[in-house]
Amino acid sequence: MAQQEQEVVENRFREALTGRLRDINTTILRSVEKRETELLRLLDRGSYETAELRELVRKSPFIHSVFVLDAAGNRLHPPPEGPITDYEREFLERSGQIWRDKQTFYNSSEATAEGSSHGWYTWYWGNGVNLLFWLRDASGRVIGAEYDRSRMLADIVGDLPNSDASDPDLQRARIALIGGDGIAVYQWGTYEPGQNEPPRVRLDLNHPLDAWSLVYFAPAAESGQALSRGMLFNFAAGMTALVLAMIGLSSYFYRESTREVREAAERVSFVNQVSHELKTPLTNIRMYAELLEQNLPENDNKAAEQLGVIVSESQRLSRLIGNVLTFARKRNDKLALHSTAGSVDQCIQFVLDHFKAILEAKNVKTVFTGGANGTVEFDRDALEQILGNLFSNVEKYAAGGGLLDVTSRQNGSTTSIIISDRGPGIPRGQEEKIFDPFHRLSNKLSDGVTGTGIGLTIARDLARRHGGDLRAIASDTGARFELQINTPPSTSPLKERHA
Amino acid sequence: MITQRIWYAVAAVGIMLAGTQSLKAAEQVKVDVAVAKPYLLAGQKQTSYIRVGLTGVPINDTGPRTSVNVAIVLDKSGSMTGEKLRKAKDAALASIDRLGPNDIVSVIAYDQTVDVLVPATKVSDRQTLRASIEKLSAGGSTALFAGVSKAAAEVRKFLDRQRVNRIILLSDGQANVGPSSPADLGNLGASLIKEGISVTTLGLGLDYNEDLMTQLARKSDGNHYFIENSTDLARQFGYEFDDVLSVVAQEVTVGITCGAGVRPIRVLGREADITGQTVTTYVNQVYGNQEKYVLLEVEVPAQQAGTERNIANVNVSYVNMASKSPHKIARGASTRFTSSASLVESNTNATVMTSAIEQIAVERNKQAVSLRDQGKIEEARKVLLDNSAFLSENAVKYNSKELEDYKGKNRKDADNLAPAVWEAQRKAILSEQNVRQSQQGQGQNRQ
Repeated sequence: MAQQEQEVVENRFREALTGRLRDINTTILRSVEKRETELLRLLDRGSYETAELRELVRKSPFIHSVFVLDAAGNRLHPPPEGPITDYEREFLERSGQIWRDKQTFYNSSEATAEGSSHGWYTWYWGNGVNLLFWLRDASGRVIGAEYDRSRMLADIVGDLPNSDASDPDLQRARIALIGGDGIAVYQWGTYEPGQNEPPRVRLDLNHPLDAWSLVYFAPAAESGQALSRGMLFNFAAGMTALVLAMIGLSSYFYRESTREVREAAERVSFVNQVSHELKTPLTNIRMYAELLEQNLPENDNKAAEQLGVIVSESQRLSRLIGNVLTFARKRNDKLALHSTAGSVDQCIQFVLDHFKAILEAKNVKTVFTGGANGTVEFDRDALEQILGNLFSNVEKYAAGGGLLDVTSRQNGSTTSIIISDRGPGIPRGQEEKIFDPFHRLSNKLSDGVTGTGIGLTIARDLARRHGGDLRAIASDTGARFELQINTPPSTSPLKERHA
Repeated sequence: MITQRIWYAVAAVGIMLAGTQSLKAAEQVKVDVAVAKPYLLAGQKQTSYIRVGLTGVPINDTGPRTSVNVAIVLDKSGSMTGEKLRKAKDAALASIDRLGPNDIVSVIAYDQTVDVLVPATKVSDRQTLRASIEKLSAGGSTALFAGVSKAAAEVRKFLDRQRVNRIILLSDGQANVGPSSPADLGNLGASLIKEGISVTTLGLGLDYNEDLMTQLARKSDGNHYFIENSTDLARQFGYEFDDVLSVVAQEVTVGITCGAGVRPIRVLGREADITGQTVTTYVNQVYGNQEKYVLLEVEVPAQQAGTERNIANVNVSYVNMASKSPHKIARGASTRFTSSASLVESNTNATVMTSAIEQIAVERNKQAVSLRDQGKIEEARKVLLDNSAFLSENAVKYNSKELEDYKGKNRKDADNLAPAVWEAQRKAILSEQNVRQSQQGQGQNRQ
């Protein structure tokens, strides 16, 4: 009994801490938004005289460099012909990735052309994440400005709290902002966590700083302090719970009131959201890259194999970007499917293998019962994307359930796949709503989970385009999805694409 | 023929003097533009130097001094415990005593976290100020980047281009929390200077990162001091405040447009933007009685004897801190061509040549450091000895005490490359390079 109540208190405590981290996340986003407003004003200029742009860079404390592209994506500034400064040359070399892979940047900005015509583009260079703000004018030209990385960090640090020793809130806390490399960018609060002490809670930041996170350290005794008071236990715990509930309630109202504003912003910057979708494969890439690092000296074959995974993951990522962006641009057009001969079970296994490491890391067991091993025609990319979205939901929402069960079977030209988990499941009556774009379950189930709310929309859309459907089935033991796709038996010999 | 040329030279000097005479009394910066060789040999392409000297005219002759907005950032990491922190507090307190009621001060201390001891405020309640600094105790690691970021936020609360906006950072250790590479801090400095905030760095003892500290100062046009012993802290803090309290001009932009056919090669010792014929460089502050200079290396095309060529037009703009108004000054520089080598030699401008030799010597000194960093002690020694010979020869030729002094330092550097002494020597070397590249004053403004 006491044990259970202690757990309840601990959970509430953690919820309250998460609420605080969420407020800090808002502070950080606001810091970036302030710059966004300023950049919009500075970059919305109609003409792009080289001398004026240079003056802009020279004068603006947070613009490190600027560039301009014409409507076809060709560079106008820094001038492709004619003299450029060493500073501009250095920027071009550093941002080479953007010029080499012009389409990626260009597509990401084009997708939002109908609605908003500006946004943040994140790229990794040097010590970590770099932010680039871009703005498209009426004639289709794009002007971009690099938010000086050091300045961005200094701005954020400037907006975050100091370590005021007299603030009682901070006396038993250490809050740290962790960069993409896992190292603290900034920290405050007087509590000194031990060398390997895990944080009490962790929160990933939102776009464009989604590679970053916030962590909260507090002494272990903190939440249970009241528990040691013997007779006073129930009263104290009750009071603690009440206070925490009040905190939770006020933070709930605060969140709800800002929710509309937030949602509007979310829809406006669609591309920003899309990048969330890139997170899971990116995590895979990182994880395998780490494995590779550890294994390289011992076993070269294994390293080579893992390197292969990294490569194919990044390919998958670019396909994913391509698909989602096409989807966003031409929602009403038919998304072209490219069916080839293959085995559905092999495809399922392939996707499961990719999620294996990340699911195992979260103690989720995977059970796969294959019954769709015939050679059939289907779009492997589409199926991978559907399954990827579903599995990533398990990882995000149902990791606590400890199980992912996948069963496949084939009947004539139809393949059915049942995906179920042991997580908190989908509330009754919400089985259809979850497929709406940007819909998120507004209770604690989705708290602390980052995501776009377009994963399931895309998955269902792809399933329907594939002559089938994706449905959520009511279940008492977690979330359960049935995926059906049209898979005519193949007449051509089997080709293994991933061999 | 020769008398005619001499006459030209005299006339040129006369015109220059006349130009100086016609300066309005209100000018706070004296601008001197000179070329290394007013006469060049005809018929061949050659290198020359243009020197733009900016000398501050002290304001105390013309009005009240410029008020300042200064943030003092103190390292309170564990290594500062005891004597070091005591001296740092004393130095900070003594400096604040020199500020007046119109000045703004903030005090920030950092270990692994940052504490704003005194948020930006007018220097009126000295008792509270003193108490806040006195209570400071040391312990922990070094979040240098965050310390400077917070200081910048404090300075920004009263950011005003008509004040001297300055962060004074004291550190005795390696930045080990948050961004900590010289480039990270250099970029921060480059961003801050665009707002008119300079960061002066004081490196205390032998454990700080001199690359990081000099980068931060250079990119933001602040000063850098190497303070080996904490007993020296008060004096060096004093030098810094001498500078801060004697600013006569800010936002100084030097634009040099090279004449047709003249190719700008590089600006020695300073960062500059070179696009086509135009060179732009920026100096945040000019102090009273101190000269800063911009030295441009150019390539002059072959020209016939007896002709004259415009080498460059120089435009200097700055904000006069006495009148708080923008000023502009334009100057030109030209060179005549001759076939007489002796005429070239006898007209060579010793001041320009001395500056050029000094900057070239700094570059060679940097090469030596880079070699020593790679462990090539013998090669580094050779570069330093050669450099010292180069300086010695030119010190005699141009009768320069400055070059003679730097010769001695290079000679000494060559003897201090052994691992046991290198840590200290490297800090002294980088500090010296910075002093020469930015023409940092060494207390000559003491009032």
